[in-house]
Amino acid sequence: MNNTIDTINILLPFFYVFTFGIYSFDFWRGEKRFTNSKRVFLFVTLLLHLVYLLTRTIEFNHPPITNVFEIFTVLAFAVTFSYFILELITDIRGTGPFIIIISIVFQIISSILIKDNPNVKDVLRSNLLGIHVFSALLGYSGITISAVYGFLYLTLYKDIKLNKFGLIFNRLPNLEVLETLSFYSAILGFVLLTFAITIGIIWLPSAFPNFRLLDPKLVGTFLVWIIYGIGIISKAFGKWRGKKVVTLCIIGFVIAIISTIMTNFLSLSFHSFY
Amino acid sequence: MNILAVSINHHTAPVELRESLHLSEDEIRQLIHHAKEELFSEGLIISTCNRTELYGIPKDHKLDILDIQNFIFTHKNNKNVRPDHFQTFASAEAIKHLFKVISGIDSLLIGDNQIYHQVKESFQTAEEMQFSGFLMKRIFDAAIKTGKRAISETEISEGAVTVSYAAVQLIEKIFSNLSKKSALVIGTGESGELAAKHLIDKGIGKLVLTNRTHEKAEKIARSLSVDVIPFNGFKENLHEFDIILSATSAEDLILTSDEIKSAMKKRNYSSMVLMDIAIPRDIDPASKNIDYVFYHDIDSLNIIVEQNLAKRKFEIPKVEKIINEEIDSFINWFNSLEVAPTIKDLRDYFETIRADEVEKNKNRFSPDDQEKLEIITKRIINKILHQPTVELKKINDQRSSAEETAVKVGVIRDIFGINNSNKETKE
Repeated sequence: MNNTIDTINILLPFFYVFTFGIYSFDFWRGEKRFTNSKRVFLFVTLLLHLVYLLTRTIEFNHPPITNVFEIFTVLAFAVTFSYFILELITDIRGTGPFIIIISIVFQIISSILIKDNPNVKDVLRSNLLGIHVFSALLGYSGITISAVYGFLYLTLYKDIKLNKFGLIFNRLPNLEVLETLSFYSAILGFVLLTFAITIGIIWLPSAFPNFRLLDPKLVGTFLVWIIYGIGIISKAFGKWRGKKVVTLCIIGFVIAIISTIMTNFLSLSFHSFY
Repeated sequence: MNILAVSINHHTAPVELRESLHLSEDEIRQLIHHAKEELFSEGLIISTCNRTELYGIPKDHKLDILDIQNFIFTHKNNKNVRPDHFQTFASAEAIKHLFKVISGIDSLLIGDNQIYHQVKESFQTAEEMQFSGFLMKRIFDAAIKTGKRAISETEISEGAVTVSYAAVQLIEKIFSNLSKKSALVIGTGESGELAAKHLIDKGIGKLVLTNRTHEKAEKIARSLSVDVIPFNGFKENLHEFDIILSATSAEDLILTSDEIKSAMKKRNYSSMVLMDIAIPRDIDPASKNIDYVFYHDIDSLNIIVEQNLAKRKFEIPKVEKIINEEIDSFINWFNSLEVAPTIKDLRDYFETIRADEVEKNKNRFSPDDQEKLEIITKRIINKILHQPTVELKKINDQRSSAEETAVKVGVIRDIFGINNSNKETKE
C-alpha cells in the first residue's frame, strides 16, 4: 500500500500540471478543441487524488489532517473539487487555469515535504475532528475560489473601463457572471466555515484541555467568518454590489491566509497539532 | 464548363459607379427576362450595395465577356462605367468567385454573412424566373454548402465588425442576461435604429426610444414594437435604464457627468452602460470616472471592430481551403457528366450485377452449361444497353448543348445510382 501511496504522491503534481496545461491552452488560444476532454482530465485528476486521500486514511488509520503538508494536499483537492462542481453547475469552463494553479502550488509543496506518520495523538484519530477539519478546508476552498473570481472581476472591470480589449476581455465570462460566481463561492465557503466553527465550539473544549477562545486561529477564522457574513448580508439586501463585495471577498481571503500562516508557523496554539 | 461571369464590385469601382449599376428586385427580374432572351440558357444575377454580378451559361458558344458587358451597358447605362471596372471570370474561376462571394471573403466587410442571404435570395429569384436550370441548381447547392461550411467551420463571421454591433458585444461583457435589462436609445437616425435592432435581436427586456423629432421616434418605435418617451423629459427617467445608447447629430453634449452621477445615486450605483456612438459626442466623457458607469465612445468601440476584423482576416486561408475542396468536388461531379465515362460506368454497373448473379447461381448448372450461361447473360446485358449507349453517343456526336448533355447524362446516372458519390461510398 505504501508503494501505491508514494507513486500517487509523485504522480499527482504531474496530473494537476497536465490538466492546468490543457485548460491554459484553451484559454490562451481561444480554441474549443479540448472543451470536453479537459473536463475529463480534471475528473481523472480528482479521482486519483481521492484514491490517494482514501489510501492514506486507511493505511495510516487517521484522516490526512495531522500535519500541514497533509492539510495542503486536502486543500489542493478541495479547491479543485469545488471548482469542478461549480463548472458542472454553471458550464463556464474558461476560468479553470486561475483555480487549478492554486491546487498545483499546494500539491507540489505537499508532495515534496509530506511524511508518512502512522503514530499520531489519539485526538487526531477522532471522526469529529475529521469532519471539523474537512468542512473548514472546504470552506476555505470556497473562500479561495471566491477571491479568485473576485480578482478576475476587478481585472475585467478595470479593463473595460480603460478600453483594454485583450485576452481577459475576450476569454472571461461577463462581469455579472464573475460577480455571481464569486458570491456563490463565498456563500458556500461561509456555510461550511459556519459548520466547522459550530463543531469546533462544541467539541474542541472537551478534546483540548488548553482550549481558549482567544486562540489566534479561532480569532482569525472568526474574523474571516464575520467579514464574509457582512459581505453576504449586504449583497443579499442589495446595499452592496460588484466591486465592494468582491473586494471584501479578497480581503477575507488575505486575512484567512495571514491567519493560517501565523497560527501554523509563528504562534503557539492549541490548534497546532504538529 | 462553359460558364461566364462579370462583376463590378468594391475592388474594381468606386461607390458612385457601383450605385449606378445597382439593381432593384424589379430590375433584376427584368434583366433576367432579357438575359434569357439574349444571352444565357440559365444564370444568376446578384446585386447588393457593394456588387452587381451576372453569371450565366451562354446559349451561343460564340458569346464572350464583352457581349455581357455590352448587355449591362444597354440595360443600365452609365457613361462613366468602363470595361476595366469589371472583373471577368470563366469556367471554374467563375464558380470559385461565386464561392468566395457567398462565404464573405470577397466582401468589403470581411466575413459579412449578410451576403450569404443575399446570394441565396438571388438564387431563389433565378429559380422563380425559371432562369435556374440543371447546372445552376447544382452550383446553387454547392455555393450554399460552401457558405454554410465557412460560417460553421471557421470564425470568419465571428465578432462585431460594426460600431453598433460592437456596442452590443461590449454590453454583453458587462451584463449576463439582457432580457432582464432596460435600454434607452437616444436618437433614431441610422446608427440609433441599427443599434436598437441589435438590442432587440439580443433579447433586451425593455427598449425605449427618444428623439428630438418625436414623430420620427414614434414611427421607428412602431416598426420595432417598442416604447417612446419625449425628448424633453427623458433625463428624469435616466436612472431607470441599465443601458443608454446615444446616437444623435447634436452639436453639444446632451448628458453631463453630473446628470449621470445623479441617475447613479437614484439607482443605488447599479451598473450602467453608456454607449456614445455620436460624432460629436453626446455624453460627457468624464462620466467614465463614476463608479459602475461603463462609458464608451466611438473610438473605444472601433478598437473592438479593428480587433475582430484582424481575426477575420486570419481566418481567410481556412475559408479558401473549404472553397478549394468544394470546387474540387463540384468539378469531379461535372466531369462525371461527360458521355464517355458515363457509358463506361453504365456498362461496368450492369456487368457487376451480371457477374454477381452468375457467380451466385452457377452451381445450379452443369460445367458445360456454365459457359453458356456466361455467354447468354452477357448477350442480354449488351442488348439492354445497346439503345442507351447509342443515345448517349448520339448526344456526343451531335454536339448537343452542355445543358442537354448534362441533363441526359445526369438522369441516367441518377436512375442507376452511378454518380460519383455512390462510387466513393462503395469504395
